[in-house]
Amino acid sequence: MDQASDKTSISLTAGGDLFMRYVTRTSAVEYEDFNSAKSRFLERAGKFGEISYKARKIIAMLGQDFISNGCTILVHEGRPDRSGIRFTNELAKLDVPVKLLIDLVVAYSMDEVDMVFVGADGVVESGGIINMMGTYQIALVAKSMDKPVYVAAESYKFARLYPLDQKDMVPALRPVDFGVPIPSKVEVERSARDYTPPQYLTLLFTDLGVLTPSVVSDELIQLYL
Amino acid sequence: MDSRRRVIDPKVRKVGFFTPGPPPDRTQSGPAGPSSQSPISNSLSPVMIPPARQASENLSRGVPVPPNVLRGHDCLDVGSYGMSESVMSEETESPRRVGIDGEFSEDSANWMRNPRDNGKSPAVDNEDSEDVAKAQFQKNSKPLKEKTTKAERRALQEAQRAAKAEGKKAGATSGVSAPTSKPVKQPNQKKDVTLLASSSTAVPEKKGGEKSLEKDRKKETVPHPRMQFDDKSRVEKAKKRSVVQQTEARNRVEIFRHLPQYERANQLSDLESKFFQLDHVHPAVYEVGLRFLAGDIMWSNTRCIAMLQAFKKVIEDYSTPSEKTLSRDLTAKINSSVSFLIECRPLSISMGNAIRFLKALIQKSTLAQTDSEAKASLCSDIDRYINEKIILADKVIIRHAVTKIRDGDVLLTYGSSSLTEAILLHAHELRRQFRVVIVDSRPNLEGQSMLRRLIEKGLSCTYTHINGVSYVMHEVTRVFLGAASVLSNGTIYSAVGTACIAMVAHAYHVPVVVCCESYKFHERVQLDAICSNELGDPDVISKVPGRMNNPLDDWASKENLQLLNLVYDVTPADYVSMIVTEYGMIPPTSVPVIVREYCREHILI
Repeated sequence: MDQASDKTSISLTAGGDLFMRYVTRTSAVEYEDFNSAKSRFLERAGKFGEISYKARKIIAMLGQDFISNGCTILVHEGRPDRSGIRFTNELAKLDVPVKLLIDLVVAYSMDEVDMVFVGADGVVESGGIINMMGTYQIALVAKSMDKPVYVAAESYKFARLYPLDQKDMVPALRPVDFGVPIPSKVEVERSARDYTPPQYLTLLFTDLGVLTPSVVSDELIQLYL
Repeated sequence: MDSRRRVIDPKVRKVGFFTPGPPPDRTQSGPAGPSSQSPISNSLSPVMIPPARQASENLSRGVPVPPNVLRGHDCLDVGSYGMSESVMSEETESPRRVGIDGEFSEDSANWMRNPRDNGKSPAVDNEDSEDVAKAQFQKNSKPLKEKTTKAERRALQEAQRAAKAEGKKAGATSGVSAPTSKPVKQPNQKKDVTLLASSSTAVPEKKGGEKSLEKDRKKETVPHPRMQFDDKSRVEKAKKRSVVQQTEARNRVEIFRHLPQYERANQLSDLESKFFQLDHVHPAVYEVGLRFLAGDIMWSNTRCIAMLQAFKKVIEDYSTPSEKTLSRDLTAKINSSVSFLIECRPLSISMGNAIRFLKALIQKSTLAQTDSEAKASLCSDIDRYINEKIILADKVIIRHAVTKIRDGDVLLTYGSSSLTEAILLHAHELRRQFRVVIVDSRPNLEGQSMLRRLIEKGLSCTYTHINGVSYVMHEVTRVFLGAASVLSNGTIYSAVGTACIAMVAHAYHVPVVVCCESYKFHERVQLDAICSNELGDPDVISKVPGRMNNPLDDWASKENLQLLNLVYDVTPADYVSMIVTEYGMIPPTSVPVIVREYCREHILI
């Protein structure tokens, strides 16, 4: 249903799977007549927005414990959709001291950073994350400089996927604007997502609590089997 | 990394075994802030789906852990020695495990006595020995259930010895004159009980088989000692009772002396000649044993299925003797079959699991059932086990694994695994374009038969020996491996050489996919391939087929030469990217979850 519009959205797929799970697992449904069951599902679906909002609040509460006064946090939002600029605007409004870096400066400024915060499009079964292009690169730099990498993700983004490497997922292609014309013979890498393996992540902040990457699979097994 | 992380009371949940106890609610993992309007306490979490299995829910709930346990990889080790060991671990729960673990434990050897013994102690009067045994049993079982002190146990043991001596005397006086050359029929089951009652370590084991499950789970103070084959007196005892002629192999490697190793030269012919003398071994079991010994059945799945089919025949032909209960007598019967099979070849872990399942089933059969009812239900349960846990599981695994094969891939497999072969063939049927590299190793060269079958189906293959693996690895994109067992720390217990392949693949950043049915999972933790393994025939590695004058031909006569032919090795979880089971694709860190949730359910029901 939703997938038709955007085949590549992992959280959408995972959220849909979760809802299907609710439909098939809710034992009370068997004993109800169709209409009340239907209204129950509609109610559940209607609440999803609320659920997502609450999940974010929980994650924020859990995450705040890890931030202490005066620490520097690298927050990455990459090039393709320029969301980094929007994000810095938001922070500047709140008078948070903020510095804007282009992606190439990550390694250069990693030594001033205390921790790395990233979001996730999807959290996969290995405990790794699929996120906007560049996340893997930052995680690698952070790992080599021994900085913790924290992921904030709602639990409905947990997906039953298990990429073995970067190419082992449905590519999400986005147009890349280089500002100058590109010769037609040149191939342009347009993938908008990469996969960060679990060994580069420190902790995941989710509405289920603060998890180590290996617990993700535990949760998924609980949910889906 | 830690110095930078100023963590105030981190709420981390870890994977692995959890300490039981009042399950902390998930809400507790939230901050201890004003919880009145805490959104977590609201029931709207997106994952608030009614769980299917209530029992496991408690275990999976998070517990706060100290801040130093933050990384998932550390967690496994830390967690696996939690208090829940008393529920999960083998050591504390061992009574039911009678030599089912690939180990040739002393007690299992006790089930049988070499016919040659008869000259010394002629056939014991059945009635007598049984009475003695029963007396022993009753005398014994009480104090064992309570915690006995060492002295008490000692006294008991003495009493048993005396009783046994008496029993023997009685047997002798009853005067069944058995010709020494020709062994008489063994009243084995009854004898077993005597024997078992007479051996102190065997008592808790044996009886465990007959105890109810609740009692089983009671903590045993004495851990179950695995048969150590460097213990001379025990080996002597075991040898006396064995059916298969077991001559200790010469020039054994020092650190593997605790494992059984026998000369194979005339074992098979010797056992074949005994066919008409071994009445107590069911013909079906005998056949399977002979085939194990001859090496006809190699794959662990086929071995397990063959064994279960044989047991099914045993059950079909079984009728409960009067004044006995099926659940006890049949267990004894199965035990004796198992120990016969162990003598032919040590059991694999998967077979141990299957036996455990079967025994649990037998114990569940109640007195209310008639013989034929109980037998029919047992047989259908065995069929169901074979079907669900092996055949269907394989199909599901194939479906999962094929999704990881893309066009243009180069897949590497090692040796021969029925499951990997099926995966490759299925991917080929789906018209995926890929190439296969089959890595093989001496002495079995199992890969060759698989190679032949793959080529017949039109796959494009490369064949190499393990010596060449580092050369071929750079072009490989996926490594698919089978496993004999997966242990709960994520360790893969598999054919020797697998660890080498996985490590080379890891060094080349090639993902390693291990395919394994969940019935082969085991809750044991093993860190090396030394303490538990199987030793193959050293002769096969000393000979090179086709070579005329072999420099190692008389290796056994050279005092300072030892040959080691290991059968299994262990691959640490770090070198494994993914384990494919019928429950899906999981990281090696999640093996304990599968073991906890699924592998014990048939036992705990």
